[in-house]
Amino acid sequence: MAQPNPLTTPPPGADTQLVPGHVEHAEAHSGAFPPFETSGFLSQLIWLALAFGLLYYLMDKVALPRIQAILHARAERLRADLDQAQAMKAEADAAGIAYETALRDAQGKARDIAQTTRNELAAEADAKRKALETELNAKLATAEATIRARTEAAMGNVRSIAGEAASAIVERLTGQAPDSATLDRALDATAH
Amino acid sequence: MAVTIDPIHQFELKPLVSLGHIGHQQLAFTQSALYMFAAVGVIALITVVATASRSVVPGRMQSLAEIFYEFIADTLHQATGDGGKRFMPLVFSLFMFVLILNLFGMIPYAFAVTSHLIITFGLAALVISVVVIYGVMKHGTHFFGLFVPSGVPKPLLAILVPIEIISFISRPISLSVRLFANVLAGHIAMKIFAFFVVQLLLAGAWSVLSPLPLFLTIALTALEFLVAALQAYVFATLTAIYLNDALHPGH
Amino acid sequence: MTISTEFVAGVIAGGILGWIVDHVFGTKPWGLIVLLMLGFVAGIYNVMRVSGFAGTRPGRGDGQEP
Repeated sequence: MAQPNPLTTPPPGADTQLVPGHVEHAEAHSGAFPPFETSGFLSQLIWLALAFGLLYYLMDKVALPRIQAILHARAERLRADLDQAQAMKAEADAAGIAYETALRDAQGKARDIAQTTRNELAAEADAKRKALETELNAKLATAEATIRARTEAAMGNVRSIAGEAASAIVERLTGQAPDSATLDRALDATAH
Repeated sequence: MAVTIDPIHQFELKPLVSLGHIGHQQLAFTQSALYMFAAVGVIALITVVATASRSVVPGRMQSLAEIFYEFIADTLHQATGDGGKRFMPLVFSLFMFVLILNLFGMIPYAFAVTSHLIITFGLAALVISVVVIYGVMKHGTHFFGLFVPSGVPKPLLAILVPIEIISFISRPISLSVRLFANVLAGHIAMKIFAFFVVQLLLAGAWSVLSPLPLFLTIALTALEFLVAALQAYVFATLTAIYLNDALHPGH
Repeated sequence: MTISTEFVAGVIAGGILGWIVDHVFGTKPWGLIVLLMLGFVAGIYNVMRVSGFAGTRPGRGDGQEP
């Protein structure tokens, strides 16, 4: 791998184009495999030390403490937010429980009131119904009595009309009116 | 057909500003250094600028930074427990640096900094130095108990202790070689397959076959994105595991 | 590639140590030979540990290595 490769030789003047006035560098470069070219080692190490030193300084003094602070702040913030959320959740839970208790109480009260009202109304209706029934019964009784009286009166009238009619018929047939006693007997017999 | 395959050229260092020489060493501000500072800039954009508002509800960039942070914090915690927190900046910086450099390497025509062994070795050496220095400072000589396996007969120790020491020294090597080799091999493979596409397109009747390497190139590119992220993760995880030795050397 | 890297790293580490030992103590080439062999063993040991065949280090939760 480290053998000189004739093809790797840079075109003459490649370096001189970049750095006019330093023609001798081209010779120092030619031939060897560039990564093993020892003539550049010291300068590469120096630049490496400078670049890496600068990087280390930046990371150690600026970047890492800052990133750490950001991550720390975020973790704190998250924890605080979580705590707050926890507290709010507990609060909400308590409120929920209180609400449910109140709701249950209200429901119970409402049920009681409804029951009482229902009972009262039922009692009232019952009483009204009873009063109405009594009244109706009384009216019914009066009506029945009237009907009975009218019926009796009517029946009496029927008897007297039948008697008169019978005596008139008998008188026409016999020429003599029957005495009332016989008439009554005959009427009683037909009525039964 | 003057197209020549050159999968190596992409790894060359190009000095942008040359600063002279120290002996054989050439000092220059190369494109590699530019990419490294660009990576630092991008990471700063994600982790510093995007978090400037410190908003509790994050924007897209800020949540990206937070995801990376939590990911690395988790990885570190898994490997080292509570004591590893002090290494968070190190592991986080390493992960972001390697990840962004690997992803930079995936941009067409861009330079893959992590394809240079010296860079990955520099990072691995940093890790292992931290492990040794912190381990010795915290536990003193007890730290070297790491090299003495427990429950082994005394004569065997004469062989096992050197092996353990070599195994320990091989860690930065395997850490750096793994990252370097993955990035390098992936980039070479992508370059070669992409080159096949061009080659076949120019090969007259054979050009009907060119979709084959094209699909392969696309699949390989997807794979390389995965490797880029995975290798950054592996680097960070292994760093965390090695740091665990510094925190809790063997009893 | 991850596992082979572990092995190669062990050999390289052994080689580097051997080279240093030879230079410091002037034992060329014996330090390199011995330590390369030990590096070879360490490489195998690394591979076994990564793939979960070998024992864990004391007090260490191994097997987390991907």
